[in-house]
Amino acid sequence: MDTRTLPTLPCVVHKLNVLSDNDKSTVQEMARIVSSDQVLSARILRLANSPSYGFYRVSTISNAMILLGVNVVKSLALSSSIFAIMEKDSVGLWEHSLAVGTAANLIARKLGLAECEEIATAGLLHDIGKVIISIKCSEAEKDILTLVRERRMYTMEAEREIIDTDHAEVGGWLSKSWFLPDKLSEPITFHHNVASSENHRIKTAVVHIADVLICASGFGNSGESFVPAVQKIAWDTLKLNEQLLAELVDEVEDKLVEVKNFCLEMMGD
Amino acid sequence: MQKIPLMLAKAGMTLAKDVFRGNSPIGFPLCGKGTELTDALIARFEDMDVQTIHVAGHPVWEDGERSFDDLLRELDDRFSKTLQEPLNAVLYDIHKKYLIKTMGGDSDRQAE
Repeated sequence: MDTRTLPTLPCVVHKLNVLSDNDKSTVQEMARIVSSDQVLSARILRLANSPSYGFYRVSTISNAMILLGVNVVKSLALSSSIFAIMEKDSVGLWEHSLAVGTAANLIARKLGLAECEEIATAGLLHDIGKVIISIKCSEAEKDILTLVRERRMYTMEAEREIIDTDHAEVGGWLSKSWFLPDKLSEPITFHHNVASSENHRIKTAVVHIADVLICASGFGNSGESFVPAVQKIAWDTLKLNEQLLAELVDEVEDKLVEVKNFCLEMMGD
Repeated sequence: MQKIPLMLAKAGMTLAKDVFRGNSPIGFPLCGKGTELTDALIARFEDMDVQTIHVAGHPVWEDGERSFDDLLRELDDRFSKTLQEPLNAVLYDIHKKYLIKTMGGDSDRQAE
């Protein structure tokens, strides 16, 4: 597959990444960049004013950025650009991604992990390779879906057979071509093979478990008919146990009603 | 008890949990459980940024929503490839119990 023709990252996100890597840049500079994108500005203000943050009447982007933190704003910028690519695509995969992002966030918070927002973003993006396969190899995608259905295969296995690569690897290429940080690209690349993740195994394990939980609940449609096996290494890395898993399933299922509501609203717009 | 998006709430349903402004437990309380919903109340919830509510029974059956038996069969199908894995068996049991809790116990349709 030609990686040069992968979708490009919007320049707003790229500029934000460059600015946030530079110690000397100020929030005001970043706010100026964000302000140039009206959709992103609206989303950031909406989030800063949402009850879950508890701040009220935040009206400027720079105040919102100080309150939310630069990392949250970056995650938001990245995820809204993903949606721009994805919304044209299948609704089922979009719902699945949104649900995995939500579940990953919930798991990370429950386990008291650092960088919950990044983990949520990684969850949101974990199947981005499927979007690319569907855009770039739409003919092959049909064959893949047929194989999955007729031979009761996992998508990964069918992808390997038809295009000799899989959506996790393609997602990895995309994250490289977008210069995403390792903490996002590793979970995307290894969410079906947690053992291969070396530097960010905890994040990868969370995304893997979140993916399994959403597949198990049957929410959305990732193209997968069967729940993947829970990888022992992910279970051990996160020190999960039966009790904890039961609580997580309860909380995730509860949250999925809100995700469904959000999806209905978005589709109604 | 069923948790539903406010968009699907109808007059005549009964609240099964208290409702707070902005759906947040630290928000201002708006209405107590046991209250029967009216159109005016639903409109007021909308203004107060309430996104979801808990109602008694299982009153909302969306188009294509499956019965308990169908949901259980689908769960079995989804797990059919990995049920022999010990961790997946644990997850399957948890999901099955969750289904029974939310659908089996107080489902109006189940009782029929």
